[in-house]
Amino acid sequence: MKLKIGFKVEKRKNVSPAAQIMSLMIALLLSALATGLLMVIGKANVAEGFIAIYKGAFGTWKASIESLVKATPLILTGLATVIAFRARIWNIGQEGQLYIGAITAYWAYTQFTDLPPAALLTTTILFALIGGAVCGFMPAFIKAKFAVDEIITTIMLNYIVIYFLSWLLSGPWKDPSHYYQQSPTILEKAQFPILMVHTRLHLGFILAIVAALILYLLISKTPLGYEIQAMGFNPTASRFQGINVVKTMLIVMMISGAVSGLAGAGELFGVILRLKSNISLGYGYTGIIIAMLAGLEPLAVIPVAILFGGLINGSFLLQTTTNIPSALVYVIQAIVLLFFLGARAASVYRLRITKSD
Amino acid sequence: MIDNSSIVIETKNLTKRFQNVVANDCVSIDFHRGEIHSLLGENGAGKTTLAECLFGFYQPDSGEIYHKGKRVTLSSPRDAIKLGIGMVHQHFVLIRPFSVLENIAMSSLKKSVLLDLTATEQKMGFLCEQYGITLDLHAKVWQLSVGEQQWVEILKAVYYGVDLLILDEPTASLTPQEANQLFSVLGQMKKQGLSVIFITHKLKEVMDISDRVSVLRKGKLIDTVMTSEVTKEDLARKMVGRDVVFQIKKDRSTIGEPILKATNLRTQNDRGLDALRGASFTLHKSEILGIAGIAGNGQRELFEVLTGIRRLKGGEIQFNGKSIINNSPEEIKNLGIAHIPDDRISEGLIMDFSVADNLILGRQRDKDYRKGPFLDRKKIIDSAADLIRIFNIVSPSPLNRTRFLSGGNLQKVILARELNRDPKCLVANQPTRGLDVGVIEYIHGRLLELRKLGVGILLISEDLDELFSLSDRIAVVYRGEIVETFNTPDASLEEVGLCMAGTGGVSI
Repeated sequence: MKLKIGFKVEKRKNVSPAAQIMSLMIALLLSALATGLLMVIGKANVAEGFIAIYKGAFGTWKASIESLVKATPLILTGLATVIAFRARIWNIGQEGQLYIGAITAYWAYTQFTDLPPAALLTTTILFALIGGAVCGFMPAFIKAKFAVDEIITTIMLNYIVIYFLSWLLSGPWKDPSHYYQQSPTILEKAQFPILMVHTRLHLGFILAIVAALILYLLISKTPLGYEIQAMGFNPTASRFQGINVVKTMLIVMMISGAVSGLAGAGELFGVILRLKSNISLGYGYTGIIIAMLAGLEPLAVIPVAILFGGLINGSFLLQTTTNIPSALVYVIQAIVLLFFLGARAASVYRLRITKSD
Repeated sequence: MIDNSSIVIETKNLTKRFQNVVANDCVSIDFHRGEIHSLLGENGAGKTTLAECLFGFYQPDSGEIYHKGKRVTLSSPRDAIKLGIGMVHQHFVLIRPFSVLENIAMSSLKKSVLLDLTATEQKMGFLCEQYGITLDLHAKVWQLSVGEQQWVEILKAVYYGVDLLILDEPTASLTPQEANQLFSVLGQMKKQGLSVIFITHKLKEVMDISDRVSVLRKGKLIDTVMTSEVTKEDLARKMVGRDVVFQIKKDRSTIGEPILKATNLRTQNDRGLDALRGASFTLHKSEILGIAGIAGNGQRELFEVLTGIRRLKGGEIQFNGKSIINNSPEEIKNLGIAHIPDDRISEGLIMDFSVADNLILGRQRDKDYRKGPFLDRKKIIDSAADLIRIFNIVSPSPLNRTRFLSGGNLQKVILARELNRDPKCLVANQPTRGLDVGVIEYIHGRLLELRKLGVGILLISEDLDELFSLSDRIAVVYRGEIVETFNTPDASLEEVGLCMAGTGGVSI
């Protein structure tokens, strides 16, 4: 009798944490390999390249703090994605909601400039939240009323908002003393307080951490969070069992929009200090990747966003020390996401050795 | 008589484990050509696992499978289909947005890029006619009733021209008439030399249809016998391991005052066609009102309008004298109308939630389960532990994921959740569909208990035996109308059956 040995891929009933961590490590390793390959193609020294990315990201105390600055909007857009995706609402409009937050906050700033600093700060933040919430509400309302897919409407709104801002900056809000499409500089009294001297780390970072804690509590500890998860897992059963899924969807989209709006205010009043049409470097979209990598867990968004903030800064140093364009960072982000999703899908299966004759 | 040369498929000492659970323990069975062979056993006895091994979906951990005397390794359903083995699963594997024809043409094995819908339609039309099945081939699958979807699954397998057909609980969603039709179709197929493995836990069906029956209990093969040589009681004892009471003892209760009054209900189904066309009935306290009817006559829509999930186009529903037609599902539940949907997995439960979370589904905002703005986890888990104990739900802990529970336990979770709200009225749509004897016995007992406590129960069922043994009155629904209402002791199965077919009494 001849014994044949074969392999068989089987689905696991339970995925152990060890398997999950293992798959994550493999994903990171493969991402590094793929990134290295890209550097080779770009005719750069791979070791130098990685060292540059690391140094730029967390190499010095200052670089690390700057990575936190970059992470601030990413934490918020990541959180905005988490809450929407947990309810299986595919909000891709974080970018537009971020800009709307900046726009409404700037409007509030121009209207209430005379308020004392603390009151002005509160007002601008409040308006950023409201602006984002309204921007999130619109596609949700259209979905509820006319069953229009939110993926389409949220993406389209991104463009509408960005061109609207472009119009504002070429006319009503333009700084007359400058050629560029940008507003005058924000008065110091309205700027977000800096947390550490000689750095750009601002109040927004604290707000982002607080937002993560609030969303964590909201999703896993409150009745609304229960409803959000129920709706995400099974909207039909949720409806049958008395959850108002339309109302829940509207609330979720408003929260999601508000959180992105806060990111916009943070960039405007904490970092850029002028309203411009490029205050976001695609933070809305990167937030989606971050949320996925964080497994849609609000608290896990924080470390992943910090890692990505570092990656963005690291790629800037990469560009100056090697000849590789910093745009590589977007490729790296995509590579990490793809390998991670692949590894997570694979960790559900196991390889079994089969014997037969 | 059966001889060895006619064996189509055979297992020898087949063992299949899932982690620590032995689903099949050294099972040796043979299945013959032109035979209807029942696999009988309670849920979790290992019937489906055995069938899935024969269909190549699972691979046995040890033991052998022989196909026509040759040892085979079935590493996927594809291998099984190549050998002429077809299987209709308990949970349908149809693509819901596609039409019946598309579903059948798509899974056909012909290697062609384009779907030949015309040829499929011709052949399907012929098959339907041959077996006397009425089915709208152009309807989308999601628009079909569960019973109709079952036909699609069976026809799909027959369409391939299999010579061994495995049916997993095929009658779970059929009316008696539909089941009889299925039996006659299977009889015809048997005459043409087809073998059928018929998985069931219904003893009556085993006796009616099968040539031989194998009884499984806790993964072990208890016995394989000729059906003609045993009685129902023998089989029940082998299956459950103890004597089973078949007749439910129902004491006469005095029906109370009206609690739920539906007048002239009109609504449309998902296809936009009239599903309810003026249905009226009155349910009283301490009464079980059965709703009998062939699948797709408006039962589903009736259930949905009563629970607030579907809007009425006309008519009136009064609960304790107050109109509820504009109330949300949540408000209706809060008024004291509990419900059990027929599709427990997609409508009754969040399978990825823990058992404890499912036990409060719909009540997550109740003060009972809250501490300030937060959910009171401790209370939720404690109350879940109580309900798990009271309702005999088999779950390792309240935090166990609901997905890992068996069908009977899923239904008990729903029952526990609904009864925990002390309902005044219960609307149940096929509450025992697809469950095993033990659980059915349990649920029937609970329903009668509720009736004794004064609860009015609307029992929508396609199982006439169930309706006759539980209901005080049976209302027959036909094409969206209640065509006749019978007092159970005075009604005969034939009369009710005729009404269900639309040839009975006059509209009331």
